[in-house]
Amino acid sequence: MTSAAAAGRSAGWKEPFHPEHSILHHVWKLLRLQISVTWSTFRTARLRRKIGTIIVVLVTVLFAGGVFAISWFLLGALRSPELERILIEQNQPSLTPFLETVPVLILAGSFLGILLTSFGVLLSALYLSGDLDFLMAAPVPIRAVFVAKQLQAVLPNFGLIALFGLPVLFGLGASGGYNFLYYPMVVIVLALLALAAAGASSLLVMGVARIFPPRRVAEVIGAVGALLSIICSQSGNFVNAMHLDEQNLSPEQIPFAAITRFNAIWNPLSWPGRGLVDLGEARLLPALLFLGLTVALAGGLFLLSLQVAERLYYSGWANMQAGGRKKRTAPKVRRPGVVPAGTASPVRAGAAASFLSEFIPQPVMGMIRKDFLTLRRDPRNMGQLITPLIVGFMYVFILFRPGGFPIEGRGEAPDWFMQLIGTAMLYSNIGISLLVGWSLISRLGMMGFSQEGKNYWMLKTAPVGAVRLLLAKLLVAYLPGLVMGTLFMVIISLIRGASISILLFGLAVVALSIIGAAGINVAFGVVGVNLNWEDPRKMNPGLSGCFSMLLSFLYMGLSVVLFFGPPLLFEAFGLPELAGQAAGLLLGGAFSIACAVITLGLVKNRVPRIGES
Amino acid sequence: MSTSSALIETSHLIKKFGDKVAVNDISFNVNGGEVFGFLGPNGAGKTTTIKAIVGLLQPTSGTVKVAGYDVQLQPMQAKAASGFVPDTPNLYMKLSARELLRFVGDLYELKPEKAAERGDELLRLFDLADVRDDLIDSYSHGMQQKIALAAALIHDPKVLVLDEPTVGLDPKSARLIKDMLRQMADRGAAVFLSTHILEIAERMCDRIGIIDRGNLVAVGTMDELRAMGKGERSLEDIFLALTGGAEVAEITEVLK
Repeated sequence: MTSAAAAGRSAGWKEPFHPEHSILHHVWKLLRLQISVTWSTFRTARLRRKIGTIIVVLVTVLFAGGVFAISWFLLGALRSPELERILIEQNQPSLTPFLETVPVLILAGSFLGILLTSFGVLLSALYLSGDLDFLMAAPVPIRAVFVAKQLQAVLPNFGLIALFGLPVLFGLGASGGYNFLYYPMVVIVLALLALAAAGASSLLVMGVARIFPPRRVAEVIGAVGALLSIICSQSGNFVNAMHLDEQNLSPEQIPFAAITRFNAIWNPLSWPGRGLVDLGEARLLPALLFLGLTVALAGGLFLLSLQVAERLYYSGWANMQAGGRKKRTAPKVRRPGVVPAGTASPVRAGAAASFLSEFIPQPVMGMIRKDFLTLRRDPRNMGQLITPLIVGFMYVFILFRPGGFPIEGRGEAPDWFMQLIGTAMLYSNIGISLLVGWSLISRLGMMGFSQEGKNYWMLKTAPVGAVRLLLAKLLVAYLPGLVMGTLFMVIISLIRGASISILLFGLAVVALSIIGAAGINVAFGVVGVNLNWEDPRKMNPGLSGCFSMLLSFLYMGLSVVLFFGPPLLFEAFGLPELAGQAAGLLLGGAFSIACAVITLGLVKNRVPRIGES
Repeated sequence: MSTSSALIETSHLIKKFGDKVAVNDISFNVNGGEVFGFLGPNGAGKTTTIKAIVGLLQPTSGTVKVAGYDVQLQPMQAKAASGFVPDTPNLYMKLSARELLRFVGDLYELKPEKAAERGDELLRLFDLADVRDDLIDSYSHGMQQKIALAAALIHDPKVLVLDEPTVGLDPKSARLIKDMLRQMADRGAAVFLSTHILEIAERMCDRIGIIDRGNLVAVGTMDELRAMGKGERSLEDIFLALTGGAEVAEITEVLK
C-alpha cells in the first residue's frame, strides 16, 4: 500500500477496489447491471409492450417445445427397425450414421455461426458501446469488462442457436434413449463452443481494431456482411446455374457424402458431436477423449482471448480515444442548387434535381437531397440497400442461362395456350423488375421516418407540414425504386428480346405499381416509427414491420392480377393486345395510387405527433 | 430594451406524462427585444416547457403562442418565426456544415443563393469556415453546438429558443453567443434561454423565470426578484431560496 493510500485510509476513505475479488465477481457485477437495465426497461414499459414481451416469451417456449416434440417423433421414426429393414430391402444406405452426425452438424454449425456473425456485434460491444468511458474509468478489471461485453454480444446469437439446436439435440437424445449425462453435457458443450467462437472472433476484432478505426470498420462491416449473406444464401442458385453440382452422385447420395466428409475423425469441429453421441450411447472412453479434447480446445481458445485481451483490448481502446476524429470531407458543393461534385454523374444528377425542383416544393426537395446524401454516405445503410440490387443481378444472371421459354412438352397443347404461356413468361420479366423496385422500397419506405433518428427535432421544429413530410419520404422511397426497376426492365427486355410494346407496358407498370408499395411502406413506417437508435441497423420497426410485409404481399398479389390480368385475358379472347395493356394500366394504376393515397391519408394525423411518446 | 409586443405567450400551460405533471399551469410572456432566462433545478420542467414552445411536444392543456401564432393551431407560421437550439445538438452526422445549413434553408424556403450567403456568413462568424466541407461527425461537441446555433439563425428568426446554449463551448464562443443573443434582442427579437449558469442569466437576461417541480415560482427582472425575496442579493441566493437550498446542506452531509 502506498503512503498516499494509507493516508487516505487513515482519513476514513474507503478503497472501492478489492483486489481479493475474483474476475467472476466483477463479471457478475457487470452482468447484474445489464440484467437490472433489462428488467427496468420491462418494468417501466407500457402495458401493451409488457403483454407483447410475455407473449413472445411464451411463443418462444412453445416453439422450442414444438421443435423438441417434432425432433423426437421424426428422429424416432428414422430410427425404427421397420424403416431400417425397408432400406436394407431397397439396397439403400442405413440412416444410423446420418443420425449420429446430427449433433456434429448442429454443434459445428453453432460454432461457425457464432464465429461469423459475432464479429460486428463484438466490435460494437467492445469498442463502440456508450458505457465504455464509464466502465474503463471504474475500478473494475479490464478483463472483467472484456468478458462481460463479450457475453452480452454473443448472448443473442447463442440464444437463437440454442432455441433451434437444443430441442433437436434433446429430441435426438430422447428418441435414441441416450444416457442421462448426455443432456447437461449438451448444454455445457454448446455454451463452451459459443465462448470459444466469441473468443476467436474477439481476437480478430482486437487485431482489426488496432489497424483500422473501429467506427469505420463497423460501418463497412454492415455492407460487407449484407453482401456475404446474400452471396451465401444465393450460392445454391449460382451452383445450379453453373452446373457445378453435376458429379457422379445420385441426388440422395449427395447429402450423405457431404456429411461423411464433414464427420471425419481428423476434423476438430466433429469432436464435440462425436463425444456427445458416444456419451449418450454409453461409450465412455471415446466420449471422454472427444469431450476432453473439446473442453481443452474451446476453453483454451477462450482463455487465450482473455490473456491477449489483457494486453490488446485496453491499448486498442486507448488508441481509439487518442486517435480522435479523423477529418472526413464531404464532396465540394459547386454552387447553391447543384448537387455536390464528386457524385457519379453530377451534371445529370444536377439536371434531374433542377427538373424535379420545378414540380416539387423546396422543403421536400431539401429533404430528398438530404436523405440521399446521408444514405449514400453511411455504408451501414448501403448494406441494407444492396440486398435488392444483388437479388436483381442474380436473376438477370440466371436469365442469361439457356431456357426461360415455355417447355414444349409432347406438343399436344393447343397453339393459343402455348402463345398465352409465352406472353405470360414475357410479362414475368416485368415481375423481376417489380421485385427489385419493391425490395428497395420496402427498406427505404419503412425506415423513412425512423431514419431521421434523434435528428428528427430538426424536421419537427421546421415549418414543414405532414403532407410535405409524407411526400418527401414517399419520393425518397419511390425514386430509387423507379430508377432501379426501370433499369432492370430495360436490361431484361434487351436480354430476352421483348417487343417495344411489352417494354413500354412494363415501364408503365413499374412506374405505377411501386407508388402503392411506397405508400404502404411509408405509412407503416409512420406507425412503427423508432427514432431511438444509435446504429441504423437497429431501426426495428416492430410489429408494424410484420403488418407492412403482410399487406405489401397482399398488395403485390392484387396489383399483379390487376396489371397483368387484362392483357392476358384480352389475348386469350383474341382481343387487341394494346387494349388489354391499357385496361391493365388503368385498373392497376388506379389501385396502386388509391393504395398510396389511402394508407398515407390514414396516417397523416399521426405525423405531427411523431417523437412525442 | 423590450418592445411592447409579446412574441412568446404561454397561457395555463400544462403537460402531463401519464400521471406525472411535468409542467403545471404556467403562464408567462416574452416580449420582442427581451432576453428571457428560464431557470430551474434538474427535472423542474424547463426542457418540457421549451419543447412545448417550439412545437416538439403537444401540451396536455393550455396554449403557447409564438409571434402571435398558436403553436398547435398554426404550427407552420409559428415555426417559421422561431429558431431552436436544443441542449444536445443531434445533427445529421453525414452532412457537412454547409450541406446542413443549405438543408435548413430549404426547410425554411429561403432562396438558395441567400441561404448560401447567410450560411457562409454564420460559418465565418463561428470560426467554422475552414471546416465547412468536413462531415459533422468529425466535429467536437462545441463545434456541433455552434452549427446548431447557425442552423437556428439562418432564417433570421423573430423568436430564438435555446436550451443550455453555452454548455460545451469555449469561453470565446460562449462570449460570442452572448453578444449575438444581445444583438438579436436589440434588433427586436425575443430570446428565450434556459441555463444553469446563474451568472450568465444575471448578466444577460432582462427578465428571469424560475420553475420548480413544474410550477413557475417567480418571474421578473432581477430587481423584482430581489423584492420578492427575503433580502437575498444574488440570483444564486434567490434561486436557492425559491427552489429549496436545503438540499445543498444535505449534499454536504453526504460527502462528509
